[in-house]
Amino acid sequence: MGKILIVDDSSTVRDEVGGFLSRNGLDTLTAVDGRDGLEKIRTDPAIRLVVCDVNMPNMDGLTMVEKVRSELGNALVNIIMLTTESNPNMKERGKAAGVRGWIVKPFKGESVLETFKKLST
Amino acid sequence: MQQTVLSKVLVLENDPDCLDHLKQFCDTTGLIGVRVNPGHVVKVLSSTLDLGAILLAENYAGTRTETRVLARYIRHSRPELPIFLRLDNPAEGDTADDLTTFASGIYTREDISPLKQSLDRYLFSLLYPDSLVNGIMELSMNALSQQFTDLDVSCCQPSLVRDRIIFGEVFTLIPLESSWFKGYMLLQTGEAGIMQRVQAGDPSGGPGRIDFRRVNNVLSEVTNLIWGAFKNRYIPADDPGTRSPVQVPIVINHAHQYVSFGSDHPHLCFEYTLKNRIGEAVVCFQQWFVFNLNWSPERFREIPEAMADLVESGELELF
Repeated sequence: MGKILIVDDSSTVRDEVGGFLSRNGLDTLTAVDGRDGLEKIRTDPAIRLVVCDVNMPNMDGLTMVEKVRSELGNALVNIIMLTTESNPNMKERGKAAGVRGWIVKPFKGESVLETFKKLST
Repeated sequence: MQQTVLSKVLVLENDPDCLDHLKQFCDTTGLIGVRVNPGHVVKVLSSTLDLGAILLAENYAGTRTETRVLARYIRHSRPELPIFLRLDNPAEGDTADDLTTFASGIYTREDISPLKQSLDRYLFSLLYPDSLVNGIMELSMNALSQQFTDLDVSCCQPSLVRDRIIFGEVFTLIPLESSWFKGYMLLQTGEAGIMQRVQAGDPSGGPGRIDFRRVNNVLSEVTNLIWGAFKNRYIPADDPGTRSPVQVPIVINHAHQYVSFGSDHPHLCFEYTLKNRIGEAVVCFQQWFVFNLNWSPERFREIPEAMADLVESGELELF
């Protein structure tokens, strides 16, 4: 099973999501913003799933996704947005950029665990 | 007038040879090194030095173990400051709680080049064009001169700061936004100097009762002058990234526990109390909605789809 990267400027969210996934046997790492996330995806080929916020400083989540696909040429890593945003235009932008799914916060681990396991293999 | 942006680093080093090397290094890389004795480190770290990073020698506090204690303290009290560690033997120590776990970069007595890479990564990672830096200095000094007509205005060499410690007692925040940048300007000061001028009859303070609010007014006006000049110089009128050109400074006076959004209208305030199982209030939140820039309730509407989403939050929607 591959690694799951959690990208969020909130340490509370990184701890919550990362902690839940780790307790359920998944290998996780974290990034503090889109720029940090982009670098980690670039340098760690074991990352198979990214769970990413939208509103972050330095580089927002959707820009990070676009750069993962265009600059890194990485079409394989699955990206799920975990965000307070439910704006349809934003979801469309995410879909166009290659986002696999969208979760409006708060995070409910039990309801997504099996899907996350599948997406990280 | 060309200015190079610098950064201040706290130099926790006792070895004379290493200090010489670091001095030369700082001179050539845009750093200002601030040395401090081991007994004063804690006090210095709680003061406003506008630091960018800390250079720490592994034996600075005596032994490596004692330095580890110091490093842990720095990490706990000032997590925003990267620690660049000088090690005599980088191969030593691979325990989970080793000194190296606190380091954002490591260099040795013989090879200081990794320090340059670390600094580029943590401090000089954002390019600030010289023209922008010089322009900001010029327009800000002009604004201050306009506000304080009988005072001479000077400016230190600009620096890159990772500090999060507030200076002074009162500050303003105002958003800055364009197609190529988005953030805030923060302007902070102490009360006493401005209050003295206001009490001495300085017209820049404006009319009215003389108390700390006059200081807020002065700072607010200076903020406006700088912001306006900044916008005129760097944000074209047709810039696509500017959603609204209207902004007012938020004034925060933490000495008086006071905040102003510039509007006289009352805020919409909510107070939330979170109680434990035996009914004791544990946490309180006070929430303000301050629509200081625009409020048109006749155009109020709710978005039905968003209301439905509230029920379904937390669920994964696969595309």
